[in-house]
Amino acid sequence: MKIDMRLYEFEGIQLFRKEGIPVPEHAVVTNPEEAREKAQEIGLPVVLKAQVLTGGRWLAGGVRTAESLDDVEVYANRILGSSVRGFPVQQLMVVRSVNTAREFYLGITVDDYHGTPLAIISAEGGVSINMLAKERPAAIISRPISIIRGLKPSAAKRMCREIGLSGDELISVAGILSALYRVFRKYDALVAEINPLVRTQNGAYLALDSKVEIDDSSLFRHSDLNLSEEGRILNPLEKKGREIGVSYLELDGDIAIIASGAGLGMATMDIVSRRMRPANFLETGGAITEELLYKVMDLVLQKEGIRAVFINVYGGINPIHEGAKGIVRYMQEHGVTIPVVAKALGNRQEETWEIFKEHGVHVVTDVSTEKGIEQLGRLLEGGT
Amino acid sequence: MSILLNRDTKVLVQGITGRIGRVQTKWMMEYGTNIVAGVTPGKGGEVVEGIPVYDTVSEAVARQGAEASVFFVPPPGVKEAAMQTIDAGIRLIVVVTEYVPVQDVMEIREYASDTNVQIIGPTSPGVITVGEAKMGIMPGNMFTPGRIGMISRSGTLSYEVSINLATGGFGQSTVVGIGADPVVFTNLSELLRLFEKDDRTDAIVIVGEVGGIQEEKAAEFIDRWMTKPVVAYIAGLNAPAEKRMGHAGAIIQGDGKGTPQSKVAALREVGVDIATYPADVVGLIQRHFPPS
Repeated sequence: MKIDMRLYEFEGIQLFRKEGIPVPEHAVVTNPEEAREKAQEIGLPVVLKAQVLTGGRWLAGGVRTAESLDDVEVYANRILGSSVRGFPVQQLMVVRSVNTAREFYLGITVDDYHGTPLAIISAEGGVSINMLAKERPAAIISRPISIIRGLKPSAAKRMCREIGLSGDELISVAGILSALYRVFRKYDALVAEINPLVRTQNGAYLALDSKVEIDDSSLFRHSDLNLSEEGRILNPLEKKGREIGVSYLELDGDIAIIASGAGLGMATMDIVSRRMRPANFLETGGAITEELLYKVMDLVLQKEGIRAVFINVYGGINPIHEGAKGIVRYMQEHGVTIPVVAKALGNRQEETWEIFKEHGVHVVTDVSTEKGIEQLGRLLEGGT
Repeated sequence: MSILLNRDTKVLVQGITGRIGRVQTKWMMEYGTNIVAGVTPGKGGEVVEGIPVYDTVSEAVARQGAEASVFFVPPPGVKEAAMQTIDAGIRLIVVVTEYVPVQDVMEIREYASDTNVQIIGPTSPGVITVGEAKMGIMPGNMFTPGRIGMISRSGTLSYEVSINLATGGFGQSTVVGIGADPVVFTNLSELLRLFEKDDRTDAIVIVGEVGGIQEEKAAEFIDRWMTKPVVAYIAGLNAPAEKRMGHAGAIIQGDGKGTPQSKVAALREVGVDIATYPADVVGLIQRHFPPS
């Protein structure tokens, strides 16, 4: 099951510091009293920053500068009770405020199509890189990096020169770019971004924000990262899906979908959407058992107001007759009365159809999913 | 000739002694695949389904003449296994393994870039030359021999399209599951190039999905190089942005990259007919081959 492993700002900042990237003095707090205490230690003024796994914190009021300790408490209280784009704020970063002379953007990301890391820099940091790319593409330099040879110091310096840096500034920013690439490699990041990297009026360089996403397929070699799933999967049904080992996404409709593959699941969703509204996306992958589909039925029916269930499975590596047993056992035990329609093709399809039919599941024998959904539509309109 | 593999291709199975490796080896052999050797480090000397197992790929190549390899290797072992396989001179690798770290995929891809090896995957359901041989987990009975080449990012959806094509009297030459990860070893365009040259393929079906820019890049390639008809179906028209739809690569980024709309538009512009639903592929293919 894939999971989004974006890091909180403070988690990214910690990785930066470990690789020698200078970061501002800061603390992470969970209540206003603690915020006040830490602000006093750090020294006023401070910036309070909501820790949420989404962008748009400024607009949502999740970032405030406090000049006094009383303000710290008031703002902390307000931000900690709020939410940003649906993400409740449970942690705050208290950061020493700095006087900025210049802002840069530094990022390492993956060029999916060419399959290489990509270093991206700009001397116009502080704004969204996507917006900058649209409005002032000339202000951005990007270069593919050989993942085997790495980012050479000379290549980092050349990039800095191309955005117009020179002297000490060129040396400092290039050094930080190399360190950022080390973060990217060492922690299997998909994205490692500093926006902005600032030069303060005192001539120091500081990473004022972090955006880091770790490849969840690599977590087997990063137990040291110690990242909790807490706050990463907010939806309780999606969390439950992960626990039982399926990909589940909640949508806003009322037709539950169970599919045995991601592509098939998406196609089923598309077809349902033509006349009805899917309640979820769910794919089982290749590990169908009686027990799994029993749990899957339980999962999709936990959502309120489901009008029907559409099952779309292929018997390739999956024993669909076993899956069918789990579905009908759930229906019997829980007295499911809404229409359940199943399209099941492949190995042991006849046996599967028998199990379904015996227990009141409507079997689609046509080979196209579209015909199956039409059948479901007719059932909901009171036909057969 | 068919693309990538045929009944004579001498196939090696890496991870043959694992639970999935064993059963899939049996099914691949039953389909007609010429499996000559297996490799699992530390299990050299064992025999699985009558197939000799070696500790290293170079032994399997030296003793049995293996020329292609299918991976049922766990994710942490894929990088090392792939590099060893490339060094041993294998010309085709199919990586069925899911959840291979993206940076490992990038390293393998760069490592292979100066060689002639073709690597398919990761997260590939496999490659099947219908009626001859298969490397991977695609069930043979989903496909019918014929002259349509198919490139799919999803296993189950390739079955749906194939079964529907069969109702219209169309079978497949070779079906390639390119895998559904954000970074894959072989891009869609490269496979289109192979099908264009293949004298057993008359038309190509692309079964794509949301995420990435594979289909957009394929459109550029089709415009410049393809003479054979291409039709496509793209899954995920109703996928919400920034949500992964099961496959790692199936995600519409916040910057609007990888939307099905952009894929459909790019392909239409170069004359590729787009099926609204999987079964519609049949009608689109029929347009190019009216019954005589």
